[in-house]
Amino acid sequence: MKIILKRLFSRRKEEYWWMTIAVPLVSILFALITGVIFIKITGRNPIRAYELLFGSSGLFPGPYWKNHFAEMLLSSSMFISTGLAFAIAAKAGLFSIGAEGQFIVGGIVAAYFGYAKPFAGLPAILHLIIVFIMAMTAGGIWGAIAGWLKAKKGIHEVITTIMLNWIALYLIEDWLVTGPMKANVATGVSGTPYISATAKLPKILPGTRLNISFIIIAAAVFFTWYFLYRTTIGFEIRAMGHTLVFGMEAPKASGVNIDRRIIQTMFISGAAASLGGSFIILGILFQYPPVFEGGYGFDGIAVALIGQNEPIGILLAGILIGALRTGATAVQLAHIPKTFPSIIEGLIVAFIALQELVRYLIIKLVVPKRSESG
Amino acid sequence: MNNMSLLNSSLSQTMDYAAPILFAALGGVISENAGVVNIALEGIMRFAAFFGVWGAFVSGTPWIGLLWGIVIGIVIGSLHAYITVKWAGDQIVSGVAINVMSMGIITYLLELIFKTTGYSPPVPYFGSSVNRIHLVFLKDIPFLGAFSNLTILVWFAIILTVVMHFVLYRTVLGLRIRSVGENPHAAETLGINVAGIKWFAVIMGSIFAAFGGMALSLGTLSSFTNAMANGKGFIGLAAMIFGKWTPFGAMAASLLFASAQVIQLLLQVAASGFAKGIPLGFYLALPYILTIGALIGVVGRAVAPAADGVPYKKES
Repeated sequence: MKIILKRLFSRRKEEYWWMTIAVPLVSILFALITGVIFIKITGRNPIRAYELLFGSSGLFPGPYWKNHFAEMLLSSSMFISTGLAFAIAAKAGLFSIGAEGQFIVGGIVAAYFGYAKPFAGLPAILHLIIVFIMAMTAGGIWGAIAGWLKAKKGIHEVITTIMLNWIALYLIEDWLVTGPMKANVATGVSGTPYISATAKLPKILPGTRLNISFIIIAAAVFFTWYFLYRTTIGFEIRAMGHTLVFGMEAPKASGVNIDRRIIQTMFISGAAASLGGSFIILGILFQYPPVFEGGYGFDGIAVALIGQNEPIGILLAGILIGALRTGATAVQLAHIPKTFPSIIEGLIVAFIALQELVRYLIIKLVVPKRSESG
Repeated sequence: MNNMSLLNSSLSQTMDYAAPILFAALGGVISENAGVVNIALEGIMRFAAFFGVWGAFVSGTPWIGLLWGIVIGIVIGSLHAYITVKWAGDQIVSGVAINVMSMGIITYLLELIFKTTGYSPPVPYFGSSVNRIHLVFLKDIPFLGAFSNLTILVWFAIILTVVMHFVLYRTVLGLRIRSVGENPHAAETLGINVAGIKWFAVIMGSIFAAFGGMALSLGTLSSFTNAMANGKGFIGLAAMIFGKWTPFGAMAASLLFASAQVIQLLLQVAASGFAKGIPLGFYLALPYILTIGALIGVVGRAVAPAADGVPYKKES
């Protein structure tokens, strides 16, 4: 299963420099066209659906643009966080499905340090820093458990991350939230108590819900890029990815402590996912609810794949998915279920998988004209 | 309830739990033995769980539902094979695409066809007492009594495991499948139709996963709910790896996981004294913790087929 990721890691040497950009763009276009056909078959109006979807996605100016734009960035910061989590592990040749669990572990820890007494009185900036450090440490440890089991016990990370997702879910929803962390019944709140005002993420666009989460995640994208491409550990991690792929012994022979790097990678991956969980608690819900609407972890995999596992690509793919989700509510006006955007999302990923076909079509359509004219 | 019937009913409950996971795992086993990773098992189960219910709803019999489920299994399997075999596309990416699409498309169809969000109306299913396979003479025998009242889908899962073991390790077809998964270039040299074998294995695997989805919606429940398959496909993927890519290994892993589930339920019921204070979450998490524990204790490093996941391109 390790060898699979070969084509994700090894950068293809492009015949045409613009192909790296053209392939995702054309994939998105094909996905939208296929979406039209799907809506048409089911007897709805595709033009109206797309007008509604993109009109309220936040990508384009229009009525209530400011609000849609804010919502788009809010939700994209969550997708980018889990996208980074998948990509960081993937760079090291690890196939982590654990973002879902790390996300909620980060969320519950953020909720606890957000309302717990000794912290709730701190000055806002200090309080927030403590909350984030704690949440990222917890999410990181949740990831590192899978890393440790892989490095020391040789257990496949696919198994352990799936199991850890469920363990996190049950321990949080059927123990912490209903037991030790339950809000006082007298307050009428279900789930955990609300976090104190000092732990709420400061808003940056008046009149909307937009907060600093997008700035934090943009910084995380830069940090991830810097870490992977400008530090020794990042280099070693990428080399490990290639090692697992090509079966070389080079990094081990040159003294890389592979076991340790695996655990570190999974820690960082988990910490990245826990960022998203903290955002949703500290910026949107302000408590950990009794039942959590999940799925960010699995969408993160799609985001990472659309973004070709590169930090900047993930930033853009995350914004796109955030936009589609923001517009989702509006498509219901065209009598289309609000899960329609996940069909588009799936189709984009499908065309990314079909990139040999997409390349073939692009070259067939574009390249001959070029050679004729030039 | 006396001890023996508790034993038998727990065992049959274990098999009920295990069947969907086992089907998914077997789907993974055949596909990955031919070198094609299929993480779309979850999505395929979801598609088939829905289409099975749809077919049973339209026709009034679960058998037609079964047929619809198989057809959708073939369709999705062909899509996965088209992307990964015909165009040598990335197998993980294709699988993720199918999983994501299953979320959107099924919810869409649920609203379109049943005008509901989240669940379908109840349909005739294999779990009703008319449709179960009654083997009355086994009823009072310890252990064997567990087999006295199973659904046909559970029986099929058991038979399929044995047949698949036989096919994979005792027939020419099985040898070809495994050689394609180990070394496609050598297989090609020997005149084996590598692409053909891969298409076959992917589609068969997809059909098995489809049975897994229907074991949920037409076997244990009698309707489709939006939470289906609720991670069972991924557990199946884990069972396949746990079982080292073999049919019997997958069966053992599925049974281990399912028995942990049943033990968890029994513990919840039997909890008394100090155990009463243990929160529900610990019981629910127990099967997953036990699975990791079992892996630490028993199984060493799992080795996938050598060319598993490698897109195959013909030379020349």
